[in-house]
Amino acid sequence: MVFMAKEETSRCYVYLNGKIIGFVENPVEYTKEIREARRKGQLSGEINIAYFKSLNAININTDKGRIRKPYIIVESGKSKLTPELSEKLKKKEIDFNYLLRNGIIEYLDAEEEENALVVFEHEDITPATTHMEVDVAAIFGFTINTSPFPEHNNIARHAMLANFTKQAEGMYSSNFNLRFDSRGYLLFYPQKPIATTTAYEKINIAHHPSGQNFVVALSTYYGYNMADAVVINKAAVQRGLGRSVFYKTYVDEERRYPGGQKDKFKIPPPTAEGYMGEHVYSKLSEDGTIEPETHADEGDALIGKVAPPRFLEENIGAGGLEEKMRDDSSVLKTGENGDIDSVIFTESTGATRIVKVRLRSLRVPEKGDKFASRHGQKGVVAMVTPEEDMPFTAEGIVPDLLLNPHSIPTRLTFGHLLEELAGKAGSVAGTTINGTAFAEKGSTRMEEYARMLETHGFDRNGEEVLYDGITGMPFKAKIFTGVVYYNRLYHMVSNKMQVRSRGKVQILTHQPTEGKARQGALRFGEMERDALIGYGASLLLKERLLDQSDKSSVLICKECGDIGYFDRIKRTAVCPICGNNSFSEVEISYAFKILLDEIKSLHIMPRIKLNV
Amino acid sequence: MAKSQQKARDFTVQYSEPVGILAAQSVGEPGTQMILRSFHFAGIESAIATSGLPRIVELVDAKKKPTTPLSTVYLEGAASKDIEQAEKIAKKINEVRMDSLIRRSVENFSKGTIKILLSKQELESEGLTPGQVSDKLAKLLKLDTSVEKNVITVKVHTKNLKDIRLTMVKISKAVINGIEGAGKAVVQTNPKTGEIYIVSAGSNIEGIITVSGIDKSRLYTNDVFAINRLFGIEAARNALARELQATLDEQKISVDFRHLLLIADAMTSTGTIKGVGRHGISGEKNSVFARAAYEETVKHLINAASFGETDHMRGVTENILVGKQIPIGTGSVKLAIKKEDMAKIKPK
Repeated sequence: MVFMAKEETSRCYVYLNGKIIGFVENPVEYTKEIREARRKGQLSGEINIAYFKSLNAININTDKGRIRKPYIIVESGKSKLTPELSEKLKKKEIDFNYLLRNGIIEYLDAEEEENALVVFEHEDITPATTHMEVDVAAIFGFTINTSPFPEHNNIARHAMLANFTKQAEGMYSSNFNLRFDSRGYLLFYPQKPIATTTAYEKINIAHHPSGQNFVVALSTYYGYNMADAVVINKAAVQRGLGRSVFYKTYVDEERRYPGGQKDKFKIPPPTAEGYMGEHVYSKLSEDGTIEPETHADEGDALIGKVAPPRFLEENIGAGGLEEKMRDDSSVLKTGENGDIDSVIFTESTGATRIVKVRLRSLRVPEKGDKFASRHGQKGVVAMVTPEEDMPFTAEGIVPDLLLNPHSIPTRLTFGHLLEELAGKAGSVAGTTINGTAFAEKGSTRMEEYARMLETHGFDRNGEEVLYDGITGMPFKAKIFTGVVYYNRLYHMVSNKMQVRSRGKVQILTHQPTEGKARQGALRFGEMERDALIGYGASLLLKERLLDQSDKSSVLICKECGDIGYFDRIKRTAVCPICGNNSFSEVEISYAFKILLDEIKSLHIMPRIKLNV
Repeated sequence: MAKSQQKARDFTVQYSEPVGILAAQSVGEPGTQMILRSFHFAGIESAIATSGLPRIVELVDAKKKPTTPLSTVYLEGAASKDIEQAEKIAKKINEVRMDSLIRRSVENFSKGTIKILLSKQELESEGLTPGQVSDKLAKLLKLDTSVEKNVITVKVHTKNLKDIRLTMVKISKAVINGIEGAGKAVVQTNPKTGEIYIVSAGSNIEGIITVSGIDKSRLYTNDVFAINRLFGIEAARNALARELQATLDEQKISVDFRHLLLIADAMTSTGTIKGVGRHGISGEKNSVFARAAYEETVKHLINAASFGETDHMRGVTENILVGKQIPIGTGSVKLAIKKEDMAKIKPK
């Protein structure tokens, strides 16, 4: 049926993996035939074929890397997944692979989907229908399907949810105690969500979950939870809510160098180059490593190591190499601290010794830590409120977290509200609630949760009379309270916060350093500069850009306008150009001095003329 | 009354207030919000004008020709109410090029002729006859033409291949009717006032103004250079500010008009329209350092050196560079008399 390389526009091009292989006269029948062969098992199920009428082309794809999705085949208005087959499937007499082998379900790729007319449910099938979704929820991916009621949320929030799910702390691995991950976050008491989904159960995350069920009141709290801030209950935190541990592994290796020299793990001797002082190495034991279960603070050495000097000096004296040593220890950086969890010695493939030190640091939720629900609703803890100051219900239930109600309407995350209601209903009834997308239609779902709450003596809308913990007075409005599954995200202030008043400067420019690792300052950038100019605050501007930055004093020759220097031996200032000795001392930015130097390197002589 | 006058006076620009920076910030900040939402209303206007950020950039960079030139021509007297009269005037303006009339053309190199088959439809819609087209061609390009039904035969008195080709190119570019550079002219009605006016997709207002029956005092185009040529720099300055505001207004961004006027003033103060960039205002600053700090550092330094330029340190940028107090705001105040000189002054 395929003709080789006979170019004719009336015939349809056939491309195999993007390469033209021939022409076909009856593209519709041709496509159909290949599809049927695939469904019968005569062709591989991994082949996808798509006919594009507008391009007059048939694309057959068999290569790797295509994203494909299973669909139930529908032929002449009838789903191939008959009720009998469904029954058998439920009894586990047949499985998914059986359906795949027998041409009941097939995988389509993005291109072949263009030829398909897919319906969601049996009732929607028309004679033109070609496929049916395996499940309506399958229009979402796995990440979104692990969150309950996703069909009630704005789709943009799902994109955020997908990101937050990656960042959630949980039990990332059950053998975490044997692992030396460079960074690991482990949540204490992880819980499985009350509002769960089919997909969540099927992929077994419930065995190592990454969050906890928080009692959430949708309420403001004296302005402490404005703009995505949240208030959490101190007593709940002390009971272990959101508590986690942070593991960090420090690795070092006894490297070998050309010339037979090698590093050595040991407490560096005071003679070593770059010796940082006795107190730094005080926690190291004989083998050069810190002992397990000792507390380490910033500036403490974890691994003591000496290395041969970087540059070979000419006169290696009688003392030999042993005495010429450079300190190359691993020291805890500023802001890092914790207990030593484990220390292991091992060997690399190159037969050099490796030491791994795992630092364990407890992370109790504090101001500035980040939490997120499964609806793209993130928040930063703004206050850890004592339990007695938190609002409480008549039963004495104190919420774990206070979420500002303003977070909901503009973001259109109504799934969050639904989960709160479902979570509450589930917790009073003692069951989990299935919140799979499209599982139940419309309001019947809400009606069910309302009924569950009512039978247990709660308000059917999930509202509670809350009393202000500070005044003891009931709030004027009833407050929506429920249970929401929250993830603790690994962005924590303790890993990020940094302070500087005075500090290091760069060698080249004499300006302050940048970045947390170098104890840097915050940049006063161009736009900030413009703002000060716009306000006319000239002295503040000078303070930021000169006095607090790279102010330096230079001598300007009164004769020639060049920069002079002070000769310490002769105790006079000298001009390198004219030899003159009369100068004016001027304060300029060091950056300007560099600019003048660079201009000089262009063979241009800049001269400074001073008034006065 | 006095109070409100005082209030108004309080908000006038103070001495040494950095109005340029304020104007730049006042346009720049809302400008960041524009970038992503640049949808516009399609439909009524014959040509969709460039809008949003690209238009702002075009104006501020002083591009010689706008990407979508548009002219608005209001009509005088009865024509502004009578659609038929307006159509007649629009016909006079509407630019018809030969290439839009040609359906097929054949060059005969052995005979040295060009046969042009005219499109009947196009001729009808433009209200032209093949004879008129032929005459116009003969007049414009001084050609030997003859007509037979819809076919114009042009005799080129040479058999040089290159000349024949060139003639054909000239013919297809010839303006048969209307004003060259005026573009397609469409009659439109203001839905509010019912006034009829003409919008043309070109900016040759020098040509359009010669057409009788139009209201010359209200002739407008979005091409500020054309306005400068016809009405002068003051008009161009106003047009520039007006175009800037129209573009911002379209995106519902409100910027005080005086900021835009200041920008327009800065761009037109020398009598010609200059962009704000490297080849315009910024490239002509007095200070060597200020120029070098902006773009093409080395070029400016080397040129300054070869001319022996002096930087008098009067601007903002250069003073920040060396670390002096800037001569703006609180920094603009200086001592008029030195402390030592005070002793010399005797109180009366």
